[in-house]
Amino acid sequence: MKQYHSIQIASNARVSDKAYTLSFKIPGLAKSADPGQFVHIRLSPGSNHPLLRRPFSINDIRGDKVEILYEVKGSGTELLSQISPKDTLDVIGPLGKGFDIDLRKRYHLLVAGGMGIAPMGFLGRRLKSLKLKHELLYGCRSSSELIPSDIKICSISSDDGSCGKKGLVTSLLPDKLESCQNPVVYACGPWPMLKAVARICQNKNIPCQVSLESFMACGVGACQGCVVRSSDGSYISVCDKGPVFDSRLIDWDQDCVV
Amino acid sequence: MKKLKKIDLRVSLAGLKLKNPVIAASGTFGYGTEYTGLAEPGDFGAVITKTITLAPRPGNRPPRICETASGMLNSIGLANVGFEAFKNDKLPRLVEKKAVIIANIAGNTIEEYVELAKKINKISHIPALELNISCPNVKQGGIAFGTDPSSAAALTKAVRKVYKKTLIVKLSPNVSDIAAIARAVEKAGADALSLINTLYGMAVDIKKRRPVLGNITGGLSGPAIKPVALYNLYKAYHSVKIPLIGLGGIMDHRDALEFLITGAVAVQIGTANFVNPSAAKDILSGLAGYCRENNITKITKLTGILKC
Ligand SMILES: Cc1cc2nc3c(=O)[nH]c(=O)nc-3n(C[C@H](O)[C@H](O)[C@H](O)COP(=O)(O)OP(=O)(O)OC[C@H]3O[C@@H](n4cnc5c(N)ncnc54)[C@H](O)[C@@H]3O)c2cc1C
Ligand SMILES: Cc1cc2nc3c(=O)[nH]c(=O)nc-3n(C[C@H](O)[C@H](O)[C@H](O)COP(=O)(O)O)c2cc1C
Ligand code: FES
Repeated sequence: MKQYHSIQIASNARVSDKAYTLSFKIPGLAKSADPGQFVHIRLSPGSNHPLLRRPFSINDIRGDKVEILYEVKGSGTELLSQISPKDTLDVIGPLGKGFDIDLRKRYHLLVAGGMGIAPMGFLGRRLKSLKLKHELLYGCRSSSELIPSDIKICSISSDDGSCGKKGLVTSLLPDKLESCQNPVVYACGPWPMLKAVARICQNKNIPCQVSLESFMACGVGACQGCVVRSSDGSYISVCDKGPVFDSRLIDWDQDCVV
Repeated sequence: MKKLKKIDLRVSLAGLKLKNPVIAASGTFGYGTEYTGLAEPGDFGAVITKTITLAPRPGNRPPRICETASGMLNSIGLANVGFEAFKNDKLPRLVEKKAVIIANIAGNTIEEYVELAKKINKISHIPALELNISCPNVKQGGIAFGTDPSSAAALTKAVRKVYKKTLIVKLSPNVSDIAAIARAVEKAGADALSLINTLYGMAVDIKKRRPVLGNITGGLSGPAIKPVALYNLYKAYHSVKIPLIGLGGIMDHRDALEFLITGAVAVQIGTANFVNPSAAKDILSGLAGYCRENNITKITKLTGILKC
């Protein structure tokens, strides 16, 4: 169940050019969270700058420690990067609906673009403990933005060719899907990438789950601020009906929300 | 340890009795059950529902929210499940929580408001109605009634005829003379007023050279609007006799006190619920603490004690 936690930072360390991992101890959350779920963090308890909470996927859970992996984007994440161990933060979670792991599938392919790597650590760990075969297809802009991962990587791509194959991660996907049996795809990354992954999977009739981003206020389904258009034309809230959706549920022709 | 003196936090809004003066603002506490685990409807003196319309409304195209300096813009567009689904699916779950429920409604025409008010009047679990005549995010209805004293009065009068319980009208700050609207609505039979709803606003994405909100414009809420809210409350307090519910940017008990002292009998908490779901509880304990420090035994003693 979602809960409110005032936590002390255990560590906040840089892992690439712009990315950091932040870890803190929340035994209750560590036990109950599922891969794909997120936490909603108030970055400035006691002040109104920045005002709203910021959503971050749970990157990993080790024992009773929860980790998030974040990129410095604007004022909020800039503040977060300056936080040091022993500082306190105010965290709500776990929130949302995570990945739905289908135990009957033979091969679980994780596709991450850029910071879309964030929920994959936890998902990989869960698949490993369930003894389900899984691999990661990982695309980044360049080697300086590559974030180390524990998951078995099948291919890497980079926009500038500084690591792995030059090009988009989605260009590696069709071949990979041809070579495996009874696969399922879990994807997280920028909207255009998710759109391409969804199309490729839909064409091959391969089940695909995507983790979406959207501006959020409440994070619990109360304000209807975070909606995206679904394939039947209705609006669905990302924070509580997602952030992970079956890719067929999303109308991919809309403009990206964030 | 010395036992803390108990403070009487009860307030009354024209016959509607509340255990405390902190109310959840419409559109920020959903249908009352979304925050389970973080906040409960029973934490509040009353919970106001998301605006309900006769038919379901999908709402505006996204993006619908955007953070701004000490505030946020929203253009939700009164997305709601519609009266029937509210009554059948949402209300029973809220009733279980045993909180005082205030239904907030809007319509495109006076007839729609009246029809909804009649339906709400029949629901025994709902002792009060808040008329939203101040939503800046829909083209028809809503704010069209809230910016002109005679339309506001005509609507209030029509609803008053069919609605027998506590009738609250929620006013917009997007007007040149809030006192005139407040007086017109009081005369037309409102039991209480809520003020304020959000202020018109917008934000621009300089990379895309486009408005951030899908609806182009939205409503501003949060700490940024508190001075505007207090000003409007001050004006209204000196223009009408009916009880006033103050809101706009209340984040903590000090903010709430400013509204009570200026003339509010109760306050509503909106954006603060997103930031701090235990805002209501924190504010209530802060209010009780302030009363104790100042030898005030009843919270109602604070209303309107502003020295000018
Ligand atoms: C479910 C979910 C999970 C996420 N997980 C991660 C993660 O694991 N790692 C990570 O680095 N980022 C993640 N993000 C994106 C992250 O929330 C934003 O990068 C962050 O809020 C930016 O805040 P800022 O103050 O630095 O940026 P600013 O641009 O200054 O933020 C201004 C406002 O826009 C919102 N905003 C800006 N960009 C985004 C965005 N992409 N998504 C949502 N809101 C945004 C902010 O929350 C804030 O309200 C996730 C987003 C969602 C919705
Ligand atoms: C996301 C959001 C949705 C809202 N929806 C409604 C609504 O449906 N009906 C209504 O009367 N007011 C609505 N409001 C306005 C609030 O009830 C309140 O009047 C306003 O936000 C000012 O208070 P605050 O600064 O405490 O948030 C909404 C506000 C926000 C931020
Ligand atoms: S952020 Fe409020 S409904 Fe999703």
